Amino acid sequence: MSEIRKLAVAYVSLLLLLALTVGSSFFDLGGFNSGLNLAIAVAKAVIIATLFMHLATAGTLPRLAVAAAGLWLAILFGLTLAGQWGNGS
Amino acid sequence: MSASTRSVAFDTPAREKAADAFGMWVFVGSEAMLFGAVMLVFFVARVSYGPAFAAASKHLSLTLGTLNTAVLITSSFTMALAHFYSDARRWRAAVGTLAATALLGIAFLAIKGTEYAMEFHEGIAPVLGAPFTFDGPDPVHAAFFFGLYFTMTALHGLHLACGIIVVAGLLALWRGADASSRKRRVQAVGLYWHFVDVVWVFLFPVLYLINR
Repeated sequence: MSEIRKLAVAYVSLLLLLALTVGSSFFDLGGFNSGLNLAIAVAKAVIIATLFMHLATAGTLPRLAVAAAGLWLAILFGLTLAGQWGNGS
Repeated sequence: MSASTRSVAFDTPAREKAADAFGMWVFVGSEAMLFGAVMLVFFVARVSYGPAFAAASKHLSLTLGTLNTAVLITSSFTMALAHFYSDARRWRAAVGTLAATALLGIAFLAIKGTEYAMEFHEGIAPVLGAPFTFDGPDPVHAAFFFGLYFTMTALHGLHLACGIIVVAGLLALWRGADASSRKRRVQAVGLYWHFVDVVWVFLFPVLYLINR
């Protein structure tokens, strides 16, 4: 049953984070709204990946696949945004 | 077909399961590239045309978007339960939670369809040749926002529809499948389903919560 409890805690946490992200959007946080929303989205993704997708106990190969995807996304975003802002636009 | 493993390529069921999971994670990673590229286009456009995007975003239904996020999170929870029940060989509970997952997916698409209908009615859907009658500032870049909104949500909806079809197929083949096949299929479709949920977790704040 402890496994079900773990999944239930993950589920409730996801709903609370949803309430937090929607609630925060009604307040003007002076430019930090988008950053907070993205941070909450990352937190939700981590909960889903580790607990629902069992990444925490999945072993080396799945983590390698995730790390590879993260590396390529970092290159994609990094080089594009560096070009975007490096050009002074 | 040996009794212990599905394919002759593997010595043990454990290795086969590991290969299954790895294959799905590589697939999920390649899907992350697809959605990541579209998100990057949106991000650059959002930085370039901030006020137009913020004004356009206010025309989306925050209520329906929030409801849909809750529906999809719930479907991920039922999918995680289905994985747990199939590992525990509690087949009846596994079938029930899989069916609930597919129904929640259909509910998501129904709500999304309602939103689309509202947006077409309001004239803020610059797709499929529909008239675009946005009355806010900078309608050109607002149209860009709505074009990206329809592209991203339709791409996501297409993935969800595929997930529903696969879950339905899994249930249709359930009776004829042995225990190890059931477990492996639930694990594979579960990874895909959760990934589609993660994509929405990012789409929702990015599209619906711009400077509200």
